[in-house]
This record gives sequence, structure tokens and C-alpha cells, in this order.
Amino acid sequence: MECTRMKLSDIGIRAYIAILILLIYTPIILMVVLSTNTSGRISFPYEGFTTKWYNGKPSGFEYGSYISAYYDWAFWIAFQNTVYVAFAAAIMTTIIVTTVAMTLRHRIFGRNALFYIILLGFLVPGVALGLGNNILFGIMNWQFTWWIAAMLDTVYAVPFGLILMMARFDPDLMLYERAASVLRASPLSVFRRITLPLIRWEVVSAAIFGFVLAWGELIRTSFVARGTGVISTYISTQLAINPITPKWYAVGTIITGISIIALVFMGFVLSRGQK
Amino acid sequence: MAQGPVPSPGKKTSGFRIGGYSSYLLLVPGLAIATIFMILPLAIMTVVSFYTTAPSSTGYLKIFTAQNYIDFFTAPNTPTLLLNTFSLALIAAVICFAFGFPLAYFLTFRIKNATFKNYVITLLIVPFLIDASIRTVAWIAILGRDGIVNYALLSLGAIHSPITALLFSRNTLYIIWLQTYIVFMEFPIYLAMNRIDPDLISAAKVLKAPPHRVLYDIVFKLSLPGIICGFVFVFVSTLGDYVTPNLWAGGVQTLGLSISRYSDNFLWPYASVLSTMLLIISVIVLFISFKVVDIRKLVYE
Repeated sequence: MECTRMKLSDIGIRAYIAILILLIYTPIILMVVLSTNTSGRISFPYEGFTTKWYNGKPSGFEYGSYISAYYDWAFWIAFQNTVYVAFAAAIMTTIIVTTVAMTLRHRIFGRNALFYIILLGFLVPGVALGLGNNILFGIMNWQFTWWIAAMLDTVYAVPFGLILMMARFDPDLMLYERAASVLRASPLSVFRRITLPLIRWEVVSAAIFGFVLAWGELIRTSFVARGTGVISTYISTQLAINPITPKWYAVGTIITGISIIALVFMGFVLSRGQK
Repeated sequence: MAQGPVPSPGKKTSGFRIGGYSSYLLLVPGLAIATIFMILPLAIMTVVSFYTTAPSSTGYLKIFTAQNYIDFFTAPNTPTLLLNTFSLALIAAVICFAFGFPLAYFLTFRIKNATFKNYVITLLIVPFLIDASIRTVAWIAILGRDGIVNYALLSLGAIHSPITALLFSRNTLYIIWLQTYIVFMEFPIYLAMNRIDPDLISAAKVLKAPPHRVLYDIVFKLSLPGIICGFVFVFVSTLGDYVTPNLWAGGVQTLGLSISRYSDNFLWPYASVLSTMLLIISVIVLFISFKVVDIRKLVYE
């Protein structure tokens, strides 16, 4: 009796998790499905399979929402910008997360203040941060270039990377470092030979996290992007003036696919680190 | 340690420093970015909120005035604006908690398979990291005029014409925010629950504690730091999100939305006033929460 009751509750738990995941993923799955629909609107039922929203050759009379993703040159410019932004954010996030994590481990003066400042990057409302940067760059007459978006993404990504890295530090890490430095290893070689090999998966995952976060960030970026901008700002400005067709679902499928591949890679990297 | 990124109990090692003051040198890139792209902009924004609005090339004159704040506090829609902003964020946090707490509990105490746990957590991160406009627009396929819900209801004969109000409502907003930010609620609770000694629960059960007492007195109370962290994370994230309300809130006005409207019209001082108010609200919430919970425990100590 006890045994069957346990099993029933286990099934209930798995059903709960499955329903929650389904609730979260249904729109994403439907987006992929409807991006191949022949209908010109987002509509049910499914009318027929086509790849025209991905690579349909334009006849020259289409505009905005009716040009396929492949032939939408502005989208590819935005794509290129996003790749720059995401790689820059990944590199900056990695450097900052690693250096700050190295320092925050020690009982240095001002550790708490430092931690709260870093954490604020994620806790300040995005719209306030975006507006602030917009005003600052206007006053300073600085150019709005793609790397500013990368910097804002970095400020946002660093707290996540830091928590991820510090929560997973090997408890004996500092012991090994100490042993090495007692044996007269220079600080740099301690880092290179002892610390880095032990935290390398966390470093890689911080980089991937910076990349993926910058890949989809919109709230902060929308205040500092100019021109075609990055993918997120391009899509949001296009959607404001154009009808929503399956073309945008095709675009969404492409960029969501890239985020998911990056995240799967991150999951793989993190599970390597646990061994 | 195999079941997830669980913080390990830090051993008490004395503070070893990489070459004394050079450890401060390591902070230069992090502090530089935080200063230039966060502290400085927010400071300047606060200053601009006291400037006089004027039809100049910059949109303001550098004459200090409190008029913007007087305008803000006497505007007839200000109470609604604040109430909307506050209630939307609060309800979003409550909804995320309602779904996230059981999930964290199940993942910690009921699911033994480590790979399964990692998959579930990774699956929760994905929606947060995909493109914000795409994530919101994807809901048209479900709740839109020709979405799957209307299609199902129509073919069942429950309704005769599609419901358009389905998409443009606060409920849609909550669903999208649940989808996006549940990971912020789920993760701190999960971390906090992982620190609960399972023997404590077995002991309570042996001593014939009723299940609701075990759940409340042990699981809930001991994971309270994680819960509060989760609340704060979801709350401030939804406060700063103006994109989703812009598309789907059905005309509900929030502070974030007004900020973007005023800044689109180059009314910097007034946008700064609203933004400063948003900042003050979040700082108060953060301050109170971090008095109750020590968030540093997530990372060190």
C-alpha cells in the first residue's frame, strides 16, 4: 500500500514538472511549427508546409515582414552586429568575472561594498540603466557604437557569472594555491598552473553565459542601439511598424536555435566541471 | 556534489593574497565598467531629473528646479502608475513563487536522478535567455486572435467569435513573466534547499510530524533566504521590463513603459524623474530584503 502511494506521488511530481516545462515551451515549439506555415498570418489551423519564410526568393515587391529571413539584408547586418556584441560581452564577462572572483574570495578591505556594486549590475531595473546610459552618452557626445551595447550586457552578465563561479569553487582551491606560493611559485604561475586549471570550466561557462545573455538582451540595449542595431532591437523596431508574419517566427527560430545550442554547450561544459 | 551547482561549504582558510596590493589591481576592469556604465549613468540621470525641460537641442536647460518632481507627485495618474508598477511586479513574483517553490522542493527532495535535475534547470534558463521580442511575440500563436486557444474553443463550439482580449491582458503579462523569470525564483530556492540537511526531515518524520509541519517548519523556514532572494530578483527584473507590458499589457501603464515613452519623445528630465523613482523603489526593496537575508551567503562566507 505504502509502495503504490509513493509511486503515485512520484508520477504526480513528474507530471507537475512536465506541465510546467510544457507551459514554458509551448510558445517556443509553436513558433518553430508556425514558421513553416504557408499562411501569411500567425494563425491556426496549420495550412501547409513551406520554407518560404526562411529562404523564399523575393519578387521585388515585398517589404518588411514579407521578405524571407535569408533575403532580409538588414536582419543579417543586425545579426553581424549581434555576433560582435555577444563575443565582446563574452570576453569582457570572462575577464571581469575571473578577476573579481579571485579577489572576492579573500577578506579584502571593502569586499562587501564591492560585491554589492557588482550585484547591482543585475539588480538595477534595466530601463533605468538604459536611460541613464542614453543620457550620459548624449551629454558626453560619445558615439553610440555596438561596443556600448556589449558593455551594458557585460554589466548585466557579470553578477550571474560571478555567482556561478564562486558557488562552485573547489573548497581546497586556496589551500593548493597557498602550497604553491609557499614553494616560491610566482603569483602569475600560481594562477596559470593551479587556479586556472581548477576553474577552467567555470571560466568557459562565464564566457558562454555572457554570450547568450548579450545575444538576446533588449531592455538595456534598446536605449543605446542606433541604426540597424542588434537583432533584438531590430526585431522590436520592425514589429512596431510591420505586421507580424511567420517571417518573424522564422527569424525567431534561427536565433533561438543559436541560443539553445550555446546553452547546451554550457550545460555540457558545466557537467564536465562537476566530475 | 553531483546533483547541481551546489555551493560547497567553504573551508576556513586564512586570507591568502596574490601579491598583496596586486589583488586590488585585479579589480580595475570590473570597477571601471561598473563605474562608467552603471554608477555614472545613474548619477547623471538623477542630476538631469532636476534640470528644466526646454525645447533646446538637448531637451533641457541646466537650471536646477524641483518642478519635475512636483509635476510627478501632483499628476493625476501618478498613484495609478505607482500602484500598477508595484502590483504587477509583486503579483509576478508571487506567481513565480507559487510555481517555483514546489518545483524546487521536488527537484531537491523527490527527484534523485542528477541528469534529470540538470536538464530541468537548463530548460528553465532557456526562455530567459532567448530574444525578448521573439519570446513575447511567440505567445500570439497561443493567445492571439487566430491562436490555438481560440481555435480550440471555436471548434469545440464554446465561443462563436474569437476572443481578442485573451492576448491583451495582465494575465498574458504574468504568463510571459512566469516563463521568463521563474528561473530567478527557482534557482535561489533550490540552492537554499540543497543546504537543508535531509536528516532533519527524516527526524521530523520519525517523530511523527504531520507533513504540513515538515513543509512549513523545516523546508519553508530554512529556505526562506532563497525565497526572499527569488522574490527580489523577480521583482526588480519585472520592474525594469518595459518591453512586455508595451506589447501585451492591454494599455496598463507602468513606470517602465512611461520612461520609454518620455525618452522616445526626448523629454529627458521627466523620464529621469520616473527612472529615479523606479530606482528608489528598487533600492528600498533591496535594502529591506538584504537586511533580512544575507545575500552574500550565495557567494561567499
